[in-house]
Amino acid sequence: MNDSNLSREIRSEIKHTIGEDVDVSLNDAIATLKGYVSTYEHVVEAGFTAAKFHRVFEVVNDLDYPGKTPFVPLPEQSDELQGMHFDVVIGGAGVVGGAIARALSRYNLRVALLEARDDVGTMQTGHCNGLIHPALPTKYGTLKWEMGYKGNEMYTKLSEELGFELKRIGTLVLTETLREAILSPVVIPMARRHRDPTPILLSRKELDKLEPGLAPNIRRGILLRNTGVVSPFEVTVALVENAIENGVSLFLGTSVIGLFIEDGAIRGVRTTRGTLSTGLFINVSGLYSDIIAGFANDRFFTIHPRLGETLIFDKLYQPVNNFIGASSLKTNDNPHSKGGGLIPTIDGNLQAGPTAVEVPDREDVSVSGDSVKMLIERINEGLSMIKPQEPPIDKSKIITYFAGCRAPTYKEDFIIEPSKKVKGLIHIAGIQSPGLTAAPAIAERVVEIIRDSYKIEEKESFNPYRRKVKVVRSMDNAERREFVKEHPLYGHIICRCEEVSEGDIVDILHGPIDIRTIDSVKRRLRAGMGRCQGGFCLTRVMEIISREKGIPFEEVRKNGPGSFIVKEKTKEGYEALYHH
Amino acid sequence: MENSVTVIGGGPAGLVAAIQAKQSGAERVTIIEREEELGGILKQCIHNGFGLKLFKEDLTGPEYAERLIDEVNALGIEYMLDTMALHITGDKEVLATNKKLGLISIKSHSIVLAMGCRERPRGNLIIGGTRPAGIFTAGTAQRLINIEGYLPGKRVVILGSGDIGLIMARRLTLEGAEVLGVYEIMDHPGGLTRNIVQCLNDFSIPLYLKHTITEIHGNDRVEGVAIAEVDASLEPVKGTERFLPCDTLLLSVGLIPENELSKAFGVEISDLTKGPFVDETMETNIPNVYSCGNVSVVFDLADYVAETAMIAGKYASDLVDKPSENTVRIIGGENIGVFYPQRYSGRGDLVLFLRSKKWIENSATIVVEPLDMNFRVPYARPNEMTRIKIPLDKLKGISGDLRVSIKEV
Repeated sequence: MNDSNLSREIRSEIKHTIGEDVDVSLNDAIATLKGYVSTYEHVVEAGFTAAKFHRVFEVVNDLDYPGKTPFVPLPEQSDELQGMHFDVVIGGAGVVGGAIARALSRYNLRVALLEARDDVGTMQTGHCNGLIHPALPTKYGTLKWEMGYKGNEMYTKLSEELGFELKRIGTLVLTETLREAILSPVVIPMARRHRDPTPILLSRKELDKLEPGLAPNIRRGILLRNTGVVSPFEVTVALVENAIENGVSLFLGTSVIGLFIEDGAIRGVRTTRGTLSTGLFINVSGLYSDIIAGFANDRFFTIHPRLGETLIFDKLYQPVNNFIGASSLKTNDNPHSKGGGLIPTIDGNLQAGPTAVEVPDREDVSVSGDSVKMLIERINEGLSMIKPQEPPIDKSKIITYFAGCRAPTYKEDFIIEPSKKVKGLIHIAGIQSPGLTAAPAIAERVVEIIRDSYKIEEKESFNPYRRKVKVVRSMDNAERREFVKEHPLYGHIICRCEEVSEGDIVDILHGPIDIRTIDSVKRRLRAGMGRCQGGFCLTRVMEIISREKGIPFEEVRKNGPGSFIVKEKTKEGYEALYHH
Repeated sequence: MENSVTVIGGGPAGLVAAIQAKQSGAERVTIIEREEELGGILKQCIHNGFGLKLFKEDLTGPEYAERLIDEVNALGIEYMLDTMALHITGDKEVLATNKKLGLISIKSHSIVLAMGCRERPRGNLIIGGTRPAGIFTAGTAQRLINIEGYLPGKRVVILGSGDIGLIMARRLTLEGAEVLGVYEIMDHPGGLTRNIVQCLNDFSIPLYLKHTITEIHGNDRVEGVAIAEVDASLEPVKGTERFLPCDTLLLSVGLIPENELSKAFGVEISDLTKGPFVDETMETNIPNVYSCGNVSVVFDLADYVAETAMIAGKYASDLVDKPSENTVRIIGGENIGVFYPQRYSGRGDLVLFLRSKKWIENSATIVVEPLDMNFRVPYARPNEMTRIKIPLDKLKGISGDLRVSIKEV
């Protein structure tokens, strides 16, 4: 079939699916959709329809719809970085960008890591549920699978070197029907083929020991011991801090707004703070990776944001002993998602979710009341199938909830490759679950890609161990007594719910990453995350940030550029009256 | 340290308990306060209405605190500021931490728990939408304005009609912010009637009963909220939602006694009050450990807090352990929402605090069975606590449970 036949076929298939006409063109196996459809749902359906064709490598979905807002890049705001030179510039400090920065910091390269936000790991990474996935649920042979199983293996060493917490909790996959139980022995070689080490088939008797109270229809289970949990944010901070310790320059609050290309090769990166010169740019910009690719006229995929909403329960709510994989417990039916479930966090709270909702806005972080109800209903329904004795939950057990968007392409696999059009440009896109798991493996793949075209050498000074961060909360009394004697600020408790001291806060404010917002402190130390949710410590943390960073109290922000906590000094009228 | 009392918390309850303990003969009284000054929440309550019962005067919060602090100083009561009590061990040793001394252990004969309460945060209310800057509990906003000197926002919506929210509606208006309305999910206000009148009505701030906030909008800062009416089961009614642009949302949705320290120490906590079970001496299930003020049950008035603290302080200083041979339970009967204390041990007068479950606007009678005593009150409302006092001699020889009820007349 030639290209024009294929595009006709795609066009008719889209017409059949959504009942609307769109223009389809094909170029180097990239399908581009243009035209106007009536809803955003139709935009997404058309994209998926085109992606179903095997000969389509990726889909560029430029369909318009009512209410579509065009992307407007930010203007240049300063020129502080103008003219600086780096061998490599990484665009995006999520967990993957952080892993790449750390992997490259092993070599004799000048590396810049750019991040549009005020902190690392705040977008897709910060909204991810923290699971280090086993390989079995991911489709064999895909890039997702390959990066996923390799990354999973790498986490053990990484957590030792960087000092972040990793718990290998394992997954207990339950068979729910007789058919599943009969077929279950087949899963063992399948899991091995997927490279999950030592999968174990469990009889009902063995299951009863691990997870008492299971429903009678559950006859067998499979234990995958390599499933882990981490705090995705903590991992990212650790990666970036260690990268900085090994010479990487991090620029926060710096958006990429253009790429300079000369003779088909990258020459520079335009940012909101001036233009950097470089010959190598790594596009790892998550939800914005297609837009950044467009800056190089190399947009061969489209990111369609998929919102995931998650509820977090009180630690006291523990209906299951294990992390359970069972279709009844899935919290979404999206064919492109593994389905979510009841997932423990590194701190021991259970999370219900995520949902999977296609949304037009990349920045969408809203949780709908209907989703909260739906998640509770599904968990209750699922539990009644798996552990019928468990009492149903209600919303009083929810302590908080959050949402964020995944950044898939329409083909729903990872893209990790050098640009076919522009020399010195590497695209890392379509990273979604198991992206956190895959991050270290993706970073190694990027090193291989660079090594193919550039001569890079390991440097002797590389130190894989990150600085030790001590917090009073985790010290025993004797250690704490000694430590506080030496460091009095650690004796002054600021966040009482999570026992965070002034010393802890001052330390991270002067750490390798130049942070200055309330949320940055909260994410690192849990100050404000406890029972009172910052009711008591908010103003104290603001005072410390103001003092340590030399910024006026009223300019202390929660996170983003406009997120000021207070509006103005009171009695301004009085001052205006007497001082002007 | 034989004759000594450690008081955890230097707010109104802790200050009064310490003063009373000292005056009743305790040799050494130590207050542990986590903030940089004594006074607790009174420091930021710059409105008047305090002390009408205790001092027979209309004082502001800081004035009320100052009187108590002067007394503490005059009596030579010790206090440690900027000091956080972390843990209490089995033999009543309090582990605390501060900048100057590091980790400290304080052992004493008696302990008075006076940690107060905290505000209920957004978390366990299900409000959809985003999580921008500009959402405060009413008390945090109060601290920002009255202590730090900053206005948290200009166009303010208040969810919940608790007293601090009502006080803040007035305060924000006086500071030049526009308070668009107070939205209460129940069909009656949560705060005191006098605050509805003085803080809302006098400033033409509307109160919407049976309304809630269903969604918060805005990415960096609050840009608006969606408001809806609720039905009898408190669920939003579809079709009644409307969008209200604002830059600030204040939450005044209840207070929770702060008992993490007590629980970890083994103090039994009541599901009803969320505070320790105590008898008429304010003693908890652990001998010589007392509990008073808002850590026990959320009061409406600082004067009631002070009264429980006086009782706790007095008994805490009493060296002679007088284990009661005859403790009876107090039981909430008809129309009783909350009651406190929960036990009577025959050692003193019984001061009983009650909240009615129903709104009784005409006169009501409080009945304590099996005693032959009736207390006539002009009204009984869930938002205003009622106090009655039963003298010791009326309670002599009681053996069964005491059942308290509020009956409509």
